[in-house]
Amino acid sequence: MKEGFRQAMAWLHTWTGLIFGWLLFAIFLTGTLAYFKAEITHWMQPEIPARTLSSEASLTLAQDYLQQHAAGASRWLIDLPNAREPGLTLRWQQAPAEPGKRGQFTKKTLDPQTGTDVQGRETMGGDFFYRFHFQLQMPYPWGRWLSTIAAMVMFVALISGIITHKKIFKDFFTFRPRKGQRSWLDGHNAVGVLVLPFHLMITYSSLVIFMSMVMPASILAAYKGNAEAFFDELFPESNRPTAAGQPGQLIPLAPLLERARAQWPEGQAGSLSVNNPGDANASVVLERDGAEGVVHDFGRAVTFNGVTGELLSTTPALPVPMAIAGAFYGLHMGNFAGPVLRWLYFICGLAGTAMIGTGLVIWLGKRQLKHAKSGVMPFELRLVEVLNIASMSGLMVAVVAFFWANRLLPVGMAERANWEVNSFFIVWGLSVLHALLRRGRAAWVEQLALAAGLFCAVPVLNALTTPYHLGVSLVQGDWAMAGFDLTCLGSGLFLGWAAWKMQRAGRATSVPRARVRPVPLEREAT
Amino acid sequence: MKGKSSTLPVSYRLAVTSRVLAAVLGGYVVAALASVSLTLWLPMARAEAVVTGMMTSFLAYLVAVLWCFACRSAWQAWFGLIVPSVVLAAISGLAYWAGHP
Amino acid sequence: MLLALLLCYGGFTALCLSMDRHHADVLGRKPSARRRHVMKFGGWLLLGVSLWAAVCATGWGLGLVEWFAVLMLSALLLVLLLPYRPRLALSLAVLSLLASPVCAVLM
Repeated sequence: MKEGFRQAMAWLHTWTGLIFGWLLFAIFLTGTLAYFKAEITHWMQPEIPARTLSSEASLTLAQDYLQQHAAGASRWLIDLPNAREPGLTLRWQQAPAEPGKRGQFTKKTLDPQTGTDVQGRETMGGDFFYRFHFQLQMPYPWGRWLSTIAAMVMFVALISGIITHKKIFKDFFTFRPRKGQRSWLDGHNAVGVLVLPFHLMITYSSLVIFMSMVMPASILAAYKGNAEAFFDELFPESNRPTAAGQPGQLIPLAPLLERARAQWPEGQAGSLSVNNPGDANASVVLERDGAEGVVHDFGRAVTFNGVTGELLSTTPALPVPMAIAGAFYGLHMGNFAGPVLRWLYFICGLAGTAMIGTGLVIWLGKRQLKHAKSGVMPFELRLVEVLNIASMSGLMVAVVAFFWANRLLPVGMAERANWEVNSFFIVWGLSVLHALLRRGRAAWVEQLALAAGLFCAVPVLNALTTPYHLGVSLVQGDWAMAGFDLTCLGSGLFLGWAAWKMQRAGRATSVPRARVRPVPLEREAT
Repeated sequence: MKGKSSTLPVSYRLAVTSRVLAAVLGGYVVAALASVSLTLWLPMARAEAVVTGMMTSFLAYLVAVLWCFACRSAWQAWFGLIVPSVVLAAISGLAYWAGHP
Repeated sequence: MLLALLLCYGGFTALCLSMDRHHADVLGRKPSARRRHVMKFGGWLLLGVSLWAAVCATGWGLGLVEWFAVLMLSALLLVLLLPYRPRLALSLAVLSLLASPVCAVLM
């Protein structure tokens, strides 16, 4: 550490990258998948038809349903269907939540055309990846804390990496394949530097998203310990009136959509909440569809009196700091992205995942060279090797196992959504065992090959277990369904190629040839 | 970490641990104090100042972490965090109690 | 977005060719000082025009996002093609630049 700034940054980059790399790889991969969570959910619940209807018609259906089934609830929440999520989702809360606590909700998805319960197999769908990437399957709030800590470490790793990369401009277009460790480093630099705007955005925005949780000092100082006052100011429509205890007829909700549109120049409502339906103190809050602008308009809502229909309040224009925070949130979530941009988000996410993965491979590869002659790997390196294999190829096997579980578990099975998730973790756990029992290269090849086979077989599995296979989805223009099958096929082909390369590289190094000199590793920091 | 097949001296490991602790814990303190200082001094509405303070705090955290590993010794790491912390705490304190006439 | 993508790809290729090493890899010889300057200037100019195209089409918010997206995509595409199919990489750049005015008029 006495050797100079760049050296110190190289050390920092190397160690932060290693210690948090395995976790960050999982976060990046599942987060990337989450950009297509609606499409994944659609594939995992193929029975639910992808039909959209007008918002007004859906809302009328929702109100009728809730009036029948949840008349005495303290709160109704209605998510209107949109292009990517064609279901009409209703939630209701019997008893009001304690202040500051999350309440208990019952959730139902309706077919927006018939207004009846949707009959789809029970599954978490794409939401599993979405939630995993920031909650890490840990109890609230620990998962979020860990993922936000990982985000801060990612930020340090990114900046230290930039500082360390001396020839960042000179080597901007440099990628030299077929040169062993040199190629891995070139690849790491390429997916790092060329996609840097995305990496910086996604990392910093993830810090901003949970900043109230991890950096509350400002709130406590400015509001003298009363954090609730801060959130009330930020989200004024979350101030819910208490029930009067007297009955009041709830007005029809559908016409409110048009009145809300009058308040928003180009916007429309994406969701509503009805507080105290059927009570004299009922209020209806319409929130704007998040998929409109890049800036996520926090707290942008219009509130009406639930009995008289009188406009109670609108939130004022967003102040600049909130708009910046909203921009970070919106950019991270990418809700505004149309199909092309969404694919670009996906590609950038994969690039980030690859950046982390190549980094882990390089870390080990550099040090393995020193022990290649002795043939025995010290414990620490063996540990890294097992973790590398399990967290990368093992994770990919787990992901495809999740999809296979969706098709293989009986539709009527109890707790099948949980069992799909269990399959994911069981397979991931087995991949750790496999990596422990097999030698490094063999484990890589076998796991990559398994993942490749399972991914390529997804369209076949789909055809064998449902009537919604490629032959049907391509003809009907169900692009989400077809896209999923085709992307799995493409991923399988890529993983198969990777497995083949791994195996070839293994055969090449095991036969020593006099001509082959070990490639000298350039020390980036000198 | 250049070519260390031999075990590292304990003093080295202690120094690294010290820097890590400074970066993680001390860095957080600096970031939080920077956030509070900015929030209390910015001439904006309260909620806006809070949001601005929180958003920028991570930059302070980054600088603190980089400092802890770039400086020449573990002692310097701590010193380089304690001094700004004291200054920021003073600035925050000034704003906090100046706001209560 | 397409116009911005075409211009970005062309711009990056120009910037790439302004570097001795890459120019030699693709075209067989090092660039003259004049060519280097022309390529550099042209490259940056094309990137600037692509930003303008993106913002003109969809405003500053979405336009900036789309511009960064095509910027990153075109850079990735170029760097991936260069070592394997340098001629293709160059031809695509020429095609992109030829197609740009057509694209601009049509959209």
